Amino acid sequence: MTALRGQPGSVPLKISIVCLTLAIACGTLFSLATGGRTDVGLADIFRPDGLARTVLFDIRMPRTCAAALLGVNLGMAGLVLQAITRNPLASPAILGINQGAALGLTLGVVLPNTIDLPLDFYALTGALTAGVVTFAISGGFGGKIDSLRLVLGGVAVGAFSYAMVRFTYTLDDDIARSVIRWTVGDITDIRWSETKRLAVWAVPGFLASLVMAQRFNLMALGQASARGLGADPRITLLLGTVVAAALAGASVTVAGPIAFAGLIVPHLAKFLFGGDHRVLVPTTALLGAALMLVADGLSKTLTAPIEAPIGVVAALMGAPWFLWHTIFARDVS
Amino acid sequence: MKRNIFAVFGLCAALATTPLSAGEITHEAGTTDVPDNVKRIVVLEFSFIDALASVGVAPVGIADDNKRDRVIPAYTDIIGDEWVSVGTRKTPSLEVIASLAPDLIIADKTRHSAAYDTLSEIAPTIVLDSLGGDYHDSVAQMAVIGEAIGKKDEMDARIAQHKATMDAYVTQITPLSEGLSAQFGVTNATGLWLHAPVSYNGSLLEMFGFGSAMKPAEGDVYEKVYVPTTLEQLSEVNPDILIFGAYANPSQVDSWKGETLFEDLTAVKSEKVYNVTAHNWSRLRGMLAAEKTAADIVEIMKK
Repeated sequence: MTALRGQPGSVPLKISIVCLTLAIACGTLFSLATGGRTDVGLADIFRPDGLARTVLFDIRMPRTCAAALLGVNLGMAGLVLQAITRNPLASPAILGINQGAALGLTLGVVLPNTIDLPLDFYALTGALTAGVVTFAISGGFGGKIDSLRLVLGGVAVGAFSYAMVRFTYTLDDDIARSVIRWTVGDITDIRWSETKRLAVWAVPGFLASLVMAQRFNLMALGQASARGLGADPRITLLLGTVVAAALAGASVTVAGPIAFAGLIVPHLAKFLFGGDHRVLVPTTALLGAALMLVADGLSKTLTAPIEAPIGVVAALMGAPWFLWHTIFARDVS
Repeated sequence: MKRNIFAVFGLCAALATTPLSAGEITHEAGTTDVPDNVKRIVVLEFSFIDALASVGVAPVGIADDNKRDRVIPAYTDIIGDEWVSVGTRKTPSLEVIASLAPDLIIADKTRHSAAYDTLSEIAPTIVLDSLGGDYHDSVAQMAVIGEAIGKKDEMDARIAQHKATMDAYVTQITPLSEGLSAQFGVTNATGLWLHAPVSYNGSLLEMFGFGSAMKPAEGDVYEKVYVPTTLEQLSEVNPDILIFGAYANPSQVDSWKGETLFEDLTAVKSEKVYNVTAHNWSRLRGMLAAEKTAADIVEIMKK
């Protein structure tokens, strides 16, 4: 069982729980207390009234919830991808899934609509197609994923998707402006309707990951062992791809691609809580939420009064981690 | 005596054939020696067309964003439509500019300072702060351009006439604007950019007696002059009169309609939200442009 639970966290459990709770509480307050109006601040959160109430309930709360849900979705997508590929560098951005979703959305806008389908459908289809193509390139559906081919496949799929998205810049101005929204991670103008769209995917995605947690644990033992223990790795790979694509696709639809969140959150969770995916699924979700809440607060304050897109802030937080991990990780291949 | 007459004749002939320096023109990037009688002028901002049109001069090249209709009929009536497009104002094509063999290039401080050396290799270049400057700067730039193209007197006369026209507008508008704040902003499908009091439009509104609640900011042009603004930030500025120029339909501002914070804005409650032609207000600057804006404000105040 110890093997199935994976390595324990490097930090005592109590401290990890305190850190996580504090991060979420501080992140939430930070995100709610900051915004366009300088006269609506921390004190108003506890005594909302009049204008402050409108600002908090109509503008800031949906955005705060959206930031948290984005963190949940991206963290989970990253965890699932890292589990099914057994590659610590896997994430929706690196495997081309974010870019695939952006391409799907772009095609949904550019192509004449014969059937009126919701944008989520295009994002999900794009994300799923990108994921499947990347895994096919890496040899995943044959039962053995090659790490190098996985990352290179992801880069190729991502580059191709983005090239197609950028091509639409040359089309009509209105189309170009709509498409630009899906190339930079930004939640400046989020309202409750968009937050609900994120929640609709986050809840089933979370539950599906929870159900599959034991399968992820078996994958960690190696594909041959997983098969021997009755969990066909190809099925885990397929189901995991669908879950990750749905989570990443929904996030791109609402906020555009946010890189690095999906990469670093699972690593932080593993550092704090160990390698058991039954623990990692909920803790990654919560840590993702905490990270994006802090990123949201920073995006509103770093360059105030002008907001920095949350995607840029997430990248500024995540890029150093990615670099450190790439240089020092021993188990990349 | 005969020899003297030949000497004077010879000097006149020499003066007629060799381009003489119109003198040193001081501008944002330094001082440039501009020859007399410049004929082939390339302009990289719309406000420089305004200046040339004011004295009936047609440029050979315009950075018209590859959209010829961005040069409005009020200008084409004077300058015709023979110009060559040299690309976008943001990234004009140096190759096309060079191919026009200009003898004067008028460039913008914000957009083209980085290319000043290259532009100067093509032709004498003067750099003026069109994008980042206010209305008063833009009139001062008209005088610099008048001097550079050797039409100082004509330009001074046009400026004097323009100032008289604007004074009349000020007399007409200020009694109506007393105690009111007004704010102009452009909106496209993804955002709203308010033009701060230090901007061209902001300074015009100020000249007509309107107040502004925008806080002054530091930074580059897009931080202190054309400020990206969220609904929450707009609710803090909360002017008595809101003037929008929309580049998209529906615009970002349209998407805010129905939201409590937007509907609670003073201007929205008192139905003092007005739409103007975004292109004329936002992209055009200069004397003719200012007179058009003033006429729009008179119309707004009549409503």
